[in-house]
Amino acid sequence: MVTRASSSIVASLNLSLKTTFAPKFQNLGFLGHRISASPLVFPCSNNSKCCSRMLGSFKFSVKAASAEPLKDANELINSVETFIFDCDGVIWKGDNLIEGVPETLDMLRSKGKRLVFVTNNSTKSRKQYGKKFETLGLAVNEEEIFASSFAASAYLQSIDFPKDKKVYVIGEDGILKELELAGFQYLGGPDDGNKKIELKPGFYMEHDENVGAVVVGFDRYFNYYKVQYGTLCIRENPGCLFIATNRDAVTHLTDAQEWAGGGSMVGAIRGSTQKEPVVVGKPSTFMMDYLSKKFNILKSQICMVGDRLDTDVLFGQNGGCKSLLVLSGVTNLSMLRSPENPIQPDFYTSKVSDLLSLTAASV
Amino acid sequence: MDDTGTDDSRPQFLSSQNAEFLINSVDAFLFDCDGVIWKGDTLIDGVPETLEMLRSKGKKLVFVTNNSTKSRKQYAKKFQTFGISVNEEEIFSSSFAAAAYLKSINFPKEKKVYVIGEEGILEELELVGYTCLGGPEDGNKRIQLNSNFFFEHDKDVGAVVVGLDQYINYYKLQYGTLCIRENSGCLFIATNRDAIGHLTSQEWPGAGTMVAAICGSTQKEPIVVGKPSTFMMDFLLERFQIDTPKMCMVGDRLDTDILFGKNAGCKTLLVFSGPHKQHPT
Repeated sequence: MVTRASSSIVASLNLSLKTTFAPKFQNLGFLGHRISASPLVFPCSNNSKCCSRMLGSFKFSVKAASAEPLKDANELINSVETFIFDCDGVIWKGDNLIEGVPETLDMLRSKGKRLVFVTNNSTKSRKQYGKKFETLGLAVNEEEIFASSFAASAYLQSIDFPKDKKVYVIGEDGILKELELAGFQYLGGPDDGNKKIELKPGFYMEHDENVGAVVVGFDRYFNYYKVQYGTLCIRENPGCLFIATNRDAVTHLTDAQEWAGGGSMVGAIRGSTQKEPVVVGKPSTFMMDYLSKKFNILKSQICMVGDRLDTDVLFGQNGGCKSLLVLSGVTNLSMLRSPENPIQPDFYTSKVSDLLSLTAASV
Repeated sequence: MDDTGTDDSRPQFLSSQNAEFLINSVDAFLFDCDGVIWKGDTLIDGVPETLEMLRSKGKKLVFVTNNSTKSRKQYAKKFQTFGISVNEEEIFSSSFAAAAYLKSINFPKEKKVYVIGEEGILEELELVGYTCLGGPEDGNKRIQLNSNFFFEHDKDVGAVVVGLDQYINYYKLQYGTLCIRENSGCLFIATNRDAIGHLTSQEWPGAGTMVAAICGSTQKEPIVVGKPSTFMMDFLLERFQIDTPKMCMVGDRLDTDILFGKNAGCKTLLVFSGPHKQHPT
């Protein structure tokens, strides 16, 4: 009863993943989907294993030793020059600040540490995140924030994406604002959430042939119109890029529960185009390479602090940084310790403010 | 690869010489619909006469479509509007396959099914007595992202069925995701994974889109009931008691129709009235 794909037929369907804009970073990587066993499972029809093209150097590194609970915070703090923080589940949960964060950030700054905030959440621009930090009483500069919305436009800039080409956006305001700031023309975004299609005989959906890239991120206004528009651009505009801000399966958009994440929207476009996106957000190291170049910092001098194994910790490991998992977000101790989990950070602790309380305790 | 005695290492172009041999060597023809019988709402030339000819030669005709937007009953009506007489029992849509699958595993009637898909799936599930949530109506539902809003979902949902859904929206993605992630043992069933759907004569995103969206948010793989999965074939074989080498699958897609036929050991005939416009290499 098991379905066996005829390899010659599947091979003949292997679609080309090349684009005409040559990215400056290498293509690579296996994202590592978990496949549940079932006799009727038929995987993606064009690939025998799902993969995304990740930017930067990607190793699916499996640490032999388990993560250590953080005890000597001083040693960790003294051994690095920069702390990169994820936001959702680390600094805040929804609109609520996590306890002890402001004092901890102040302590780190007072020790001369550089602080950077890297979030896969593409709904806001860096400027809008700057305002959120301000509302929560945290002194953070816009220049210290790297959202995946920013990463998408930084990526297009890095490959000299032509200003006369357009970008179709399946995503929210944050992406639109960052593209505009960088001088790119865009179509789509939240407004297209109101567009309906009428499937009558003779109805033909047009699309702009000048779209040279489709950027896909979290989109609460997701609908069939956008899927079709993005699909037509990718399939029919020669060389059109398919860029994903991130592929997070779920995300804490409110503090009460998990919400389907950007991985869902990106999955949809993968399903309709049978193409793999270029991923700019974590765990791709694009943002890591970008900020290490911008701030002139050595990756070995960085500690990545996050709540997700498959984005934050992998991001840190792929970049050759130290990694600290906090249990204040989506990951709990049993997930970390699960035999099915191959990703082990250097350290784990319950929340960011442990960096402060553990240093104070050892004084 | 199959045991017809012919050399099938290269596909043969159908000609007046081998067409008769093909027809005489099989007892049943399985037809895909979109791109084979019709394109959107337009009948493809010559189809009614051809089907009549095959019936007159005593051939069994079966219609196997991955399009889950209609039920078998609704498909029978569509055939009727083209002046083709086809019995509901001869039609196997992936909407029907989803219901047949749940029945085959004795899915409990007290459990509910959340549907990310259209009327066809709802109708088929209701016909076999299952309680459905979701479907086209949820296309009007919106979410609010503030700390006062909690997205509820029914803990009795034991299966999420995903098919082509032109009313897809974030609400449905979130509902299906929560059911699969949080309801213990909740099944994730895909009617099919076609990248392209045929809603008009233009190409539109297929069920593969919605299914991949749920794969993306749950990081799980679905049980696929439509082509090229052999579920429908096994069902047909049991129903009609015909050996697979005596069947010919006629379709326009290599990765669903032809694969479906080959997986089961049937003869296969690719027609160029669909997406493949020239000899595939």
